[in-house]
Amino acid sequence: MWRYLIGRVLQTMLSMLVVISIVFFLTRLSGNPIHLLLDVNASERDQQILMHHLGLDKPLPVQYGLYVRNIFLGDFGNSVLTRRPVTEHIWERLPATVELGLVAMLLSVLIGVPLGVYSAVHRGGTLDGAARVFAVLGQSMPTFWLGLMLILLFGVVLRLLPAGGRGGIEHLILPAFTLGYFTSAAILRLTRSAMLEVLGSDYIKFARLKGLHEQVVLWKHGLKNALLPVVTFAVMLFVQFLGGAVVTETVFAWPGLGRLILESITTRDYPIVQAGVLVLSALYLTGNLFVDMLYSYLNPRIRHARA
Amino acid sequence: MKTRRWVVSMVAAIGLLTAIAAHGQAAKPEGTLTVAVATFGNERWLPHLYVGAEDVVLKPMYENLLTRDPKTGELAPMLAERWKVADGGRTWSFYLRKGVQFHGGRGEMTAEDVKFTFNTIAKDGSANSLAPEFRLIKSMEVENPYTLTVRFDKPFVVFGNKVNQGLFASVAFIQSKRYVETAKDDGAERLPVATGPWKFVEHVRGDRIVYEAVENHWRATPHFKRLVFVKVPEPSTRMAMLRAGSVDVIEVGGEYADELKQVGVRTLLMPNTSWLYIILGGQWATKPTYDPKVPWAQPDAERARKVRMALNLAVDKQAIVQRVLGGLGTVMGSWLMYPSDPWASDALKKPYPYDPAKAKALLAEAGYPSGFETTMNLTAWPGRGFLPDVGEAVATYWEKIGIRVKRRPVDRAIFAADFRARAYSGVALAYASPLVAPEPWEVLYRAGYTKAGLCLFVEQPKLDEFIDRLAGQPNYTERLRIMRDEMGPWLSEYVPGVAIGAAHTIAGLGPRVGDWPVIPGHMGFHNWEYIGRAR
Repeated sequence: MWRYLIGRVLQTMLSMLVVISIVFFLTRLSGNPIHLLLDVNASERDQQILMHHLGLDKPLPVQYGLYVRNIFLGDFGNSVLTRRPVTEHIWERLPATVELGLVAMLLSVLIGVPLGVYSAVHRGGTLDGAARVFAVLGQSMPTFWLGLMLILLFGVVLRLLPAGGRGGIEHLILPAFTLGYFTSAAILRLTRSAMLEVLGSDYIKFARLKGLHEQVVLWKHGLKNALLPVVTFAVMLFVQFLGGAVVTETVFAWPGLGRLILESITTRDYPIVQAGVLVLSALYLTGNLFVDMLYSYLNPRIRHARA
Repeated sequence: MKTRRWVVSMVAAIGLLTAIAAHGQAAKPEGTLTVAVATFGNERWLPHLYVGAEDVVLKPMYENLLTRDPKTGELAPMLAERWKVADGGRTWSFYLRKGVQFHGGRGEMTAEDVKFTFNTIAKDGSANSLAPEFRLIKSMEVENPYTLTVRFDKPFVVFGNKVNQGLFASVAFIQSKRYVETAKDDGAERLPVATGPWKFVEHVRGDRIVYEAVENHWRATPHFKRLVFVKVPEPSTRMAMLRAGSVDVIEVGGEYADELKQVGVRTLLMPNTSWLYIILGGQWATKPTYDPKVPWAQPDAERARKVRMALNLAVDKQAIVQRVLGGLGTVMGSWLMYPSDPWASDALKKPYPYDPAKAKALLAEAGYPSGFETTMNLTAWPGRGFLPDVGEAVATYWEKIGIRVKRRPVDRAIFAADFRARAYSGVALAYASPLVAPEPWEVLYRAGYTKAGLCLFVEQPKLDEFIDRLAGQPNYTERLRIMRDEMGPWLSEYVPGVAIGAAHTIAGLGPRVGDWPVIPGHMGFHNWEYIGRAR
């Protein structure tokens, strides 16, 4: 087991190195930040001074070498725009992103799993139909559009919730629902199909023949096994929420990490883009690792095979 | 009789005191004014680090030496209570207001602070868009704590426009020498200090900037206690936030003008805030990137002029103003002039007509009966998101006279590199110049004057000649005459690009916003301290 874990950690680190290398070279292909930092009439000398100050006058391989070395030393560099440490900017935005991601994922699971179970148990019933409509709508409505409609309804017409920005819990409801609705629909479908498969299996029939209470059969024996793909999906979803909630963050003016990375791409703030992507890929790969370990816990067959 | 008079006097005095007290109470800042804008610019605070796009969010707390009168648009005192121009524009003396304090008890503003600010703008590596102008300063003398004399080698007759609060991107905001030297750049950027009616409270990059009113400010005590800027990039969200009451003021484009009207939202119209035109790249015959095959820049000047005129006549400017700008603009044929400018004569205001048949005939005369191929760059600029749509509309009109237009959506950073290297010969681009200088030749000084500008889009010896004359002419009335009677008609005839006209700006206002006096032609939000609270 330990050998397996160490192997996975090394694999994760190698993947991160590949990711940051790709991001390093791609960002440099997208244009030079000094064109946005200086006025168009700035002299050649002004440009050279700024290039030197930002370290952009060095050959690309040297810049890359310094960048990788500094990362190993824990130094992510300074923003070319604000000239403040990149970590400061990341830490400033990370709480908002984690907050939104966590609540959205919680909503997805709280809506998706019970509805999925119910839908599987009462297959073909009215509520199953309604749940499937809910799922189809959730997966077909663009997040951007849904967000705006929710703002109009709850912010403008009913005036129950704020239309945007970050503040108290009331600011979190609309963006979290917008982000979570799409995925709750996906979780619902996944739970439903997994439950249908599990409920048709022999050990569930056996449990019923043994006279176990139906709720115990469903939630303890059925759901625990049906949850494997759902858990994988939910964890990866959470990691995706952290970096991929750009649309929701933009619509709701939510100051998260996704928006920071997007804005930094448009301003060619290389160090922030690089560090942001590094943080997200680290979270993604760690999430993967976590799912693997969780699999071992949930499915004894996997645990024994790895052992 | 005496007693009665005494009673009447006492009643009058009490009445007067009550009125003063009531006025004092009303003047006390209260509540929060929340403003949603699309961008904060580069979010820098020191004069050698900001370019100018930060104007909207810097203006509440910073002040300049001069401003412009909201009614007449003329130069008016601000931190300098008066100024004197001598030696034909070579010497400028500024007499500073006494007792103006920097925020947080950081001392009185003096001539040393002004000198320090100007030096900072001009220093090597400065990002400030006015750096080239401030580098023309030969010397500065602090005569006494309240008098600064600035000297130039050559006449700088419009230096007053470079130290002016009432223009877009007025970037010579006065800093505290002592504070910046003590706190260093990093400290002064984290806690910026100035002399304006609002003081800095908080800045969360890309999210919010919070200011607090300075009570008993020397110029104007704001009506609101707090001023909060939130960055909301999505215009629909800004609209919804205004309608929901989450914000009080929003920056919004002309395309939303009708919608705002339909839902009953008040708007503030800021007329003639930018000048909209199509740049025709490649008109720089002396540069290595010159391409003689570009139809509008070919060596045969008359044929090139016919092509440029055809490109103008092919475009229905009125339709573009109506449909793309939501009617918020005035079609004009002159260059970098607004309908309200004193030098904009009726002849100059007259737009080039929409005449596709004549445009086609001109193209044939110029040797392009079947049109030619060209590229239209579709690039958005901060605060002017409509530009790609204008470019698209113009391209569509050009196609109707046989020109084959390749659309090229391109990011501003990429285009800026092309712009610097003049690597866009044969490429067209929609652009809107904000009012960074009140006289049109001042803008052309940077865009078409070979002796100073670095990234010109048009070079012409005649234009140099006009700018030389205007730059050395200290008499405003004579400059006005040259612009109206000589340079304006010449530009109309020369046709350096495709003229569309003056664009207006609107802001959406919530119910708590009262009167808001704005300076004519100012593109961005300003005068926050004068916004009244609605009753």
